[in-house]
Amino acid sequence: MKVLLVEDNERVSQFVLKGLKEAGHTADHAADGRSGMLLASSESYDAIIMDRMLPGEVDGLGIIAALRKVGIGTPILILSALSDVDERIRGLRAGGDDYLSKPFAFGELLARLDALLRRSQGASPQHELVAGDLHVDPMTRRVRRGDRQIALAPREFKLLEYLMRHAGQVVTRTMLLENVWDIHFDPQTNVIDVHISKLRQKIDADFERPLLRTVRNAGYMLSAAD
Amino acid sequence: MRFLRSSALTLAIAYIALGLAALALFATPMWYAWRVTVQEGRAEILQADAQRLGEVYRRAGPGGLVHDMDARLALQIAGERLLLFADPGLKPLAGNLAAWPRSVPLQPGTYTIDIDLGSGASEVILVHEALPGGYHLLVGRDNARFRPLEQRFWYALAGAIAILSILGAAGGILIQRTMLARIHDIRQSVSDIIQGDLSRRLPTHRDRDELGTLSQIINSMLDQIEQLIQGVRNVSNAIAHDLRTPLAELRSRLEELTLTRPGTEQTYAEIDHAVADVDQVIRLFNALLRLAEIDSGMRRSGFVSVDLARIAAEAVEFYQPAAEERGLSLALEHDAPAPIRGDPLLLAQALGNLIDNALKYAPNSSVITVSVRGLAGGAVEVMVADRGPGIPAAERSKVVERFYRGDASRGTPGVGLGLSLVEAVARLHGSALRLEDNGPGLRAGMTLS
Repeated sequence: MKVLLVEDNERVSQFVLKGLKEAGHTADHAADGRSGMLLASSESYDAIIMDRMLPGEVDGLGIIAALRKVGIGTPILILSALSDVDERIRGLRAGGDDYLSKPFAFGELLARLDALLRRSQGASPQHELVAGDLHVDPMTRRVRRGDRQIALAPREFKLLEYLMRHAGQVVTRTMLLENVWDIHFDPQTNVIDVHISKLRQKIDADFERPLLRTVRNAGYMLSAAD
Repeated sequence: MRFLRSSALTLAIAYIALGLAALALFATPMWYAWRVTVQEGRAEILQADAQRLGEVYRRAGPGGLVHDMDARLALQIAGERLLLFADPGLKPLAGNLAAWPRSVPLQPGTYTIDIDLGSGASEVILVHEALPGGYHLLVGRDNARFRPLEQRFWYALAGAIAILSILGAAGGILIQRTMLARIHDIRQSVSDIIQGDLSRRLPTHRDRDELGTLSQIINSMLDQIEQLIQGVRNVSNAIAHDLRTPLAELRSRLEELTLTRPGTEQTYAEIDHAVADVDQVIRLFNALLRLAEIDSGMRRSGFVSVDLARIAAEAVEFYQPAAEERGLSLALEHDAPAPIRGDPLLLAQALGNLIDNALKYAPNSSVITVSVRGLAGGAVEVMVADRGPGIPAAERSKVVERFYRGDASRGTPGVGLGLSLVEAVARLHGSALRLEDNGPGLRAGMTLS
C-alpha cells in the first residue's frame, strides 16, 4: 500500500515512516501543507496521514477540504494534539475518515490505517463474513463455526462483526470502544478484555484452533492464519 | 479639588439648572398673562369711567361735568384717578392735572405714556375721549400705584429661586457625601483585590439600592473568579505532585537501564514498563484536559435532549461482563424513559465512572444497583448504589477534589480524578454530585432536569 504522511515534526515522521515500511507499506513524506497538497493531488495514494497543525499556521483540515473539493477521495487519517470530541467531529466533517489524537501508540495508528484501507476497498456489508471455519452473516445475524450454530447477544454480535470485518488486522481497544459501543472515553477498568473473553468463550473455547487472539500492547486480532 | 471633579456636583448643578429652567418656563407665561389681563382690566375700568363722564357732559353740558368732576375729586383720595376736562384750546376747565400733558396725542384713544406729575416722570395709563363741541376729557391712572404688587411677584420668584438653589446645593452635597464615600470604599476594595487580596469583597452592608445591587453582582463574580483561581491552583499543585510521581518512576527506570545495561530480554521488558508509565501520564493529562474542558462550560452549547434511562441501560450492559467476572451483580432499575437536556457523551462517562468505582469497591457477590427515577417536575435522579466500604461523611467533600484518594482506595487502580469528573459533569448540568450512605456502602449520583 502506498501512504502519504503529511507531518512537520521530524521525530514523529521518522518514527511513523519507519513503522509503515516495516509493516510493508511504501510511504512518501511531506513536511508542510503546500508540498503535501501537491503530492496528494499529483500522485495516487491508498491513504493519507495528515497532521492538523502544520508550519505557517496551516490547518490540515483546510488541506483536506481542498482535496475533497477537487474530487480526491483518498481515505485520510487525521493526527492531532487536539483531542476532544468536538475537534474529532470537526475533523470528520471536514472530510477526514478517522481521527487519532497525539500522543498515540504506533500500533493504534497502524490498526486504524489498515481499517481505512480495508474500508476503501469496499467490503460489501451484505456479504457473509468468513474467517477459517467461522461464518458470520450480517443479514440474518447468524453465526456458525464448522457445522455448529453459535448464539450471540446483540452486542456480542456487533463486536464479532467488527472483528470479522477487520480479520487479519490488529484492532485496538479504543477502536472497539468507539465503533462497537460508541464510547469516547477511557474506562478505567479492563471492561473490553472481559467482553472479549466472553466472546472467546463462545467462539473459541470448544474448538482446537483459537481465532481471536490478544496482541500484546496493541489490542486484538481475529485471524484464521497461524 | 475632588468635589469639583465629582460627578455628584455636576449632577446637583444640572438639577438646579433644570429646576430654574422649569421655573422660568412656568413664570414667563404667568407673568405675561397677568400683565396683559391687568393692563386690559385697568384700561377697561378707565374707559367705563370716561364713558360715564361723557354721559354727564352730554346730559348736563360743560358746566355740569365741571361740577361733577369737582365733586368727585373732592371725595377721592389723592392721586387715585387722574382727571382732566379741557376746552377745545386744551385749556383745563376741571380735574387734578394742572395742564394738558404735551405727550398725549390729540386723537382719542387709550395710551400708556410717561408724563410729569410733579414728582418726576411716571408711567401713566390714559384714556383720551373727545367730547362733542371740541372738548377733551382725560381719565387716567398712575401705574406706580400698582408697583408694590409687581414687586411682590418678583420677591416671590426670587425666593423660589433661592430655595431651589439652596435645596439643590444641599442635595448635591448630600449625594456627593454618600455616593462619593461609597465609591471611594468600592475603589479601595478593588485596588486591594488588584493588589492580590482575592478574598476581599466590595462593601454591601448598606441599603439594597443600585450601587448595593451592583456591588453584590460584582461580589458574586469575584466569588466565581476566586473559585476558578483556587481550582487552577489546586490543579497545578496536583499536577506538580501527581505527575511527578509517575515521571520520577519512569526516569529512574530508564536511568537504571542505561546504568546496568541488562540483557536484551530484560531491556525490552523494562521498555514495555516505561511505555506503560508514559501511557499512565498521558491518561492523567487527558483526564485533566477533559475536566478543564467541562469546567470551562463550553460543552453546554452541545446540550441535546437525551434519555437518561437509555444511557444507564447501555452503561449497565457495557459493564455487566466486568461485574460478572468479579462475582458481582449489576442491576438496573428504571421505570419510564427519562428525557433531560444534557451532553450524552459526558453523562455516559460520568455514569461509567460511578459504576467503575462501584465495581472497584463492592465486596464479592454483592449487588450494585443503577437506578433512574423520574421525580416531580420532570427532574430525573440517577444513582449508583453499592455495598462497599462507602465514604465517611467527613471525607465526602474531599473525594471530589482532584487527585484526592481516600484511604479505602489505596492499592486500587485509578488516578483520583473519577469523582472529580462526575462532579464537574453534574455542575455543568446545573446539578451537584450527591454522595450518601447506603448503609452499608455508597449511593452516588445526581438529579438532572
